[in-house]
Amino acid sequence: MYYPAPIERLIENLSKLPGIGRKTATRLAFYLLNAKETYVADLSKSLVEIKEKIRLCSVCFNITDVDPCAICTDERRSKSTICVVEESSHMMVIESANPGMYRYHILHGVINPIEGIGPDEVRIKELRERVIREGIGEIIIATNPNIEGNTTAHYIAEMLQDLNVTITRIASGIPIGGDIVYIDPLTIKSSIDNRRDL
Amino acid sequence: MSLHKDDGIVLFKRAYGESDRIVRIFTLTSGKIGAIAKGASKSQKRFMNTLEPFNHIAVEYFEKYGKGMVRIENAHVVEANAGIEKTLRKVCTASFFTEFADRLTKEREKNTSLFYLLKEVLTRIKDVEFDYRDILYYELSMLECLGYMPNFTTCVYCGKAMANENRLYFSSERGGILCPRCSRFIPHKTYPDEVIATLAGLKNGHPRPVPAADGEENRSVAPYDVGDGVFERSAREIMEGFVSFHLDVEFKSYRVLKSVIR
Repeated sequence: MYYPAPIERLIENLSKLPGIGRKTATRLAFYLLNAKETYVADLSKSLVEIKEKIRLCSVCFNITDVDPCAICTDERRSKSTICVVEESSHMMVIESANPGMYRYHILHGVINPIEGIGPDEVRIKELRERVIREGIGEIIIATNPNIEGNTTAHYIAEMLQDLNVTITRIASGIPIGGDIVYIDPLTIKSSIDNRRDL
Repeated sequence: MSLHKDDGIVLFKRAYGESDRIVRIFTLTSGKIGAIAKGASKSQKRFMNTLEPFNHIAVEYFEKYGKGMVRIENAHVVEANAGIEKTLRKVCTASFFTEFADRLTKEREKNTSLFYLLKEVLTRIKDVEFDYRDILYYELSMLECLGYMPNFTTCVYCGKAMANENRLYFSSERGGILCPRCSRFIPHKTYPDEVIATLAGLKNGHPRPVPAADGEENRSVAPYDVGDGVFERSAREIMEGFVSFHLDVEFKSYRVLKSVIR
């Protein structure tokens, strides 16, 4: 089908986005064509801005537009505890459950040798430097409880064992509101192993 | 569309889309299969903890003829990978062997001996930290299962049996050792006899890793006559040259493994 070159170019670019095929891209292109000029200008400005202004915080490696980020400069948060997470999106989830409590350290990945990702490819060295520099008392490792997340957690614990820091791991077990009958044996075992006093 | 039940070892996983997961599984009766597990990242019920690398699982999948990838319907753990993640060396070693099986096999090629060998390796890694010679032993065993075994006993060109030589010539291109006469016109590298003899011994299972008895400290292979440093350097060079020339594969996990065991 023939479209004028600018529309064709827009369709091409939109269809490169994840989950968007040519048909959806065409629909979006025509929506933008008919949208108000101010909206299109705003949208294009936002797209340019995220590439120009968003960078990583030099302290925690969270995505931010100011360095250090708002979380690192928040004086109300505990200065002695850092919660270590895989990605910024994981931090958002923990933050929504514990607003304003912790400072974070974003690893930007986990150790995954099958994909060729070793310890040097994630920000573990920077975590160690930060623990020494800021005199951190506790590290909460909140990586996913899968093989890569657990490997990373064990490796971090090993890397920090010579420092005077308490290292804790988020619990894994039966979800709130869950039914024991439907829980797999590994999760049951973990929840029994990690039981706590009442 | 037909439903299959099989035993398998998870070689690889990758998130796909919002909540699906793509996995490759080395099965007992059908060899390697690529599979999609719908909703695996969200499901609390069907796949939680199951489709993780190194797990031995029982799997049910639908196969649609003409389609490359099967759809996993159900899976449960037969033997979990628990314990492998405790040290980086164990994870790297397990990753190397699963990637080895993954990259060097084609889909739907049944290889029962490779399945059991892979299972043995993963079970042993849980108990023992492999050193380079353990890795080499299982690497050679896997090459043998896959039909890529280098020849360490006779000249690969003229077939002459090799014995009582002080130095031996190894040709990566030819995939084995050369006699002094053939080495004159075939590219090769020279190694001490003990290195080749040790490799040949490993190939034949002597000395092979020894399972630890109850209460004993886990230990792997017996010592060799040749110095550790010389043997490891030479064996690495031989194996890396052979694998890269014949199999044309670069293992991502090997790069990480090398940095851990150096």
